[in-house]
Amino acid sequence: MNLKSERRGIHVDQSELLCKKGCGYYGNPAWQGFCSKCWREEYHKARQKQIQEDWELAERLQREEEEAYASSQSTQGAQSLTFSKFEEKKTNEKTRKVTTVKKFFTASSRAGAKKALAGKLKEIQEAKAPSPSIHRQASIETDRVSKEFIEFIRTYQKPGQDIYKQCKLFLDTMSHKRELSIEEQSECAQDFYQNVADRLQTRWKVPPEKVEKAMDEVEKYIMTRQYKYVFCPETTDDEKKDLAVQKRIRALHWVTPQMLCVPVSEEIPEVSDMVVKAITDIIEMDSKRVPRDKLACITKCSKHIFNAIKITKNEPASADDFLPTLIYIVLKGNPPRLQSNIQYITRFCNPSRLMTGEDGYYFTNLCCAVAFIEKLDAQSLNLSQEDFDRFMTGQTSPKKQESDSFSPDVCLGVKQMCKSLDLLSQLNERQERIVSEAKKLEKDLIDWTDGITKEVEDIVEKYPLEIKAKSQALAAIDSENVENDKLPPPLQPQVYAG
Amino acid sequence: MAAGAGAAAGGRSFSFKVVLLGEGCVGKTSLVLRYCENKFNDKHITTLQASFLTKKLNIGGKRVNLAIWDTAGQERFHALGPIYYRDSNGAILVYDITDEDSFQKVKNWVKELRKMLGNEICLCIVGNKIDLEKERHVSVQEAEMYAESVGAKHYHTSAKQNKGIEELFLDLCKRMIETAQVDERARGNGSSQSGTARRGVQIIDDEPQVQSSGGCCSSG
Ligand SMILES: Nc1nc2c(ncn2[C@@H]2O[C@H](COP(=O)(O)OP(=O)(O)OP(=O)(O)O)[C@@H](O)[C@H]2O)c(=O)[nH]1
Ligand SMILES: [Mg+2]
Ligand SMILES: [Zn+2]
Repeated sequence: MNLKSERRGIHVDQSELLCKKGCGYYGNPAWQGFCSKCWREEYHKARQKQIQEDWELAERLQREEEEAYASSQSTQGAQSLTFSKFEEKKTNEKTRKVTTVKKFFTASSRAGAKKALAGKLKEIQEAKAPSPSIHRQASIETDRVSKEFIEFIRTYQKPGQDIYKQCKLFLDTMSHKRELSIEEQSECAQDFYQNVADRLQTRWKVPPEKVEKAMDEVEKYIMTRQYKYVFCPETTDDEKKDLAVQKRIRALHWVTPQMLCVPVSEEIPEVSDMVVKAITDIIEMDSKRVPRDKLACITKCSKHIFNAIKITKNEPASADDFLPTLIYIVLKGNPPRLQSNIQYITRFCNPSRLMTGEDGYYFTNLCCAVAFIEKLDAQSLNLSQEDFDRFMTGQTSPKKQESDSFSPDVCLGVKQMCKSLDLLSQLNERQERIVSEAKKLEKDLIDWTDGITKEVEDIVEKYPLEIKAKSQALAAIDSENVENDKLPPPLQPQVYAG
Repeated sequence: MAAGAGAAAGGRSFSFKVVLLGEGCVGKTSLVLRYCENKFNDKHITTLQASFLTKKLNIGGKRVNLAIWDTAGQERFHALGPIYYRDSNGAILVYDITDEDSFQKVKNWVKELRKMLGNEICLCIVGNKIDLEKERHVSVQEAEMYAESVGAKHYHTSAKQNKGIEELFLDLCKRMIETAQVDERARGNGSSQSGTARRGVQIIDDEPQVQSSGGCCSSG
C-alpha cells in the first residue's frame, strides 16, 4: 500500500489526515483540517465572537448617541411636553397629507420618557403576540436580519453609522405611532426612505449604486421589524378585501386560457412546467416579510411567464402577451391575501423601486390583473351575457377546447398519471379482447374437430361398413372347399435317380 | 466610484418612466425593440420580453435611466390605463399612419392623460410605419396640428426602416429633464430624485442641529 502511494508521489502522513483538534477522527482540507464536528464548533465560536463584536459596536453607537442628546437637551427639560406634543401631532396628521421630514430629524428626544414609553409599548405588544412558537420564530428571524444589517452597514463606515442611527430612531418613533392610520404610517415610512437616500447622496456623497444597495438593506431591516404591525392591520378592511378577491377567483374557476387569449400552450411539457413554477412563485409572495422580497416573488413569477410565452411563440413577450397570462396565473393560483400583499407593498416599499424599476413594472401588472379580475364581465371574455351568467351560476361549464378534460387546477404530474392510467386501461381492454378472441378461436377449433368427427361418424353411420358375402369366383385358391375333394391330389415332386 | 465622480463634476442622474400607449398592431413593441435592440421582426432577438425595457443615456453630462413600459393595447384592458401610467414622466402615443382609427384612439388617450396627470407629463404623438407612405390614411397636417393643439410633440417613425426613433427618444428625454428641473426650481430644492419629488414631501435638512439630534416630533 505504502509503496504504491510513494511511487505515485502522493505520500501522506497518517497524522496529516487526522483532525487538527486531535479528536481521532479524520480531518478535511475543506474544513481547514478539522473533522466536521470540530469544524462546526470552531466556526460557531468565530461567528459568535463576530456577532458579539457587532453588537458591542451597535450598543456603543447608541450610548454615544443618547449621551449626546442628554447633554444637548439637558437645558430644555421639556419632558412634560412630550405627550401633549405627541397628541397635537396626531391630530395634525389626520388633517394633513404632507409631512415634512424636518419633524423626524429636528425635533428633540427625551431619552427618559422615550424609554418608559417604549417599555410600555413593548409590554403591550408582547401581550398581544399571537402564538408563542410563531412569535419565537419571527423574532429569531428578526435577530438574524438585525445582525446582517449591522454587518452590512459596517462596510459603509461613517455614513453607515448614520444610517443605523436613523433607522433606530425611525423604529422608535414608529413604535409611538401605532395609533396612526395605516396611510399615515405609510407616509412616515416613505418620508423616511426618501430622507435617508437624500442624506446618503447629498451629505455623505455616497455614489448612487451604493445608495440603492444601502436602501435595500434599510428597507429589509425596518420592515422586518414593522411587519407584524402594518401587514393587513385590523384597522383596515384589507382582510375583507382579501376574502372578496379569493371568493371572486373561486367563482371564476371556469375561465379558460382561450377566453383570455393566453399565448401559452400547456400541452408542451416545458411550458406547463413554467406555468406551475409561476404559480408557485406568486403563492410564495405571502410568506415573505420584506416588501422587496415580496416584489422579488412577483418578478420571478413574471420571468417564468415570459419563458412560457417564449417557448410557445418563439418571440419576446409584449404587454399584450404578458398581462393575459399573468391574469390566468392569478386565477389558477388564487394566491393568499392578494390585496393585503399589494397594499403592504404599495405602502411600505422603497418608492424608487416601485416607480421606475423592473420590479415595479411587474408589480403594476399584478395590480392590473387584480383590477381586471374584480371587474371582469362577459365583454372582457368575448362571451355573450347569457353564457357568462350561466357559467357564473354554475348551470353549465364551457366546453373544454383542450384535448383532455382535466379541470384547470390539476397539476402536471396528476395529468400524466391520468394519461398513463388511461393507456393502461386501454391496454388491459385490448388484452382481454385478445384473450377472449383466443378462447373463441380455441372453441372454434374444438368445435371444428368435433364437427369433423361428427361428420365422419355421420357418414360412417350413414354408410356402415358392411362386409359383403364372399364372392365364389374369387375364392381363394388355397381355401378349403368341398369341391377340393373332387380334384385330383396335387402333384407331388418326384425324384429320379439318375 | 466613477459615477460618484461624474456627479461631483456637475453630472446629474435622472430616472424616467415612459409608457407606450396605442391600439393593437400599430407597432409599439416594434418601436422599442428597434430602439433598445436595433432589431425588427427578428427571430434572433435576445430579450426574453419586450414589455419592460431600459436604456441608459448621457445627455450633456446628465445621466438618464429610461424605463419603457409597454402597455396592453387590447380594448378589454383599456380601463387599466391609469394603473399603468400612474407616476410616469412621459407617454408615447403611437398610431399607424395607414389606420385612421388608431389615430382616433390616440386622441382618446391624450384626453385621458391630460385629465389624470395634467401638464406634468410629456406627450409624444407618433405616426409609425412611414415606410408605407403610399397607403397613408392620416394627413400629416391634421396630425401635426392636433399635436400642437394639445401641447404634444409629433414624430414620424418607421420601426421597419429605423427612421425617426433615436430622435423621438432623445427629444423626449430632453423635454423630461427640462420638466423635472422646472419642477425642482418651483419647489426650491435640489432633490435629484425626480420621481419621488412628486410625492409632495418637503425636504428640510440644512439645520446644523439635525446631525446631532435624533429625536422626532412625536417624542419631542
Ligand atoms: N411596414 C411597417 N410595419 C411595421 C412597422 N412597425 C411595426 N410593423 C408591423 O406591424 C405589426 C404590429 O407590430 P407590433 O410591434 O407587434 O404592434 P403593437 O403595437 O406592439 O401591437 P400590440 O402588442 O398588439 O398592441 C407587426 O407585423 C410589425 O411587423 C413599420 O414601421 N413599418
Ligand atoms: Mg405589442
Ligand atoms: Zn475533530
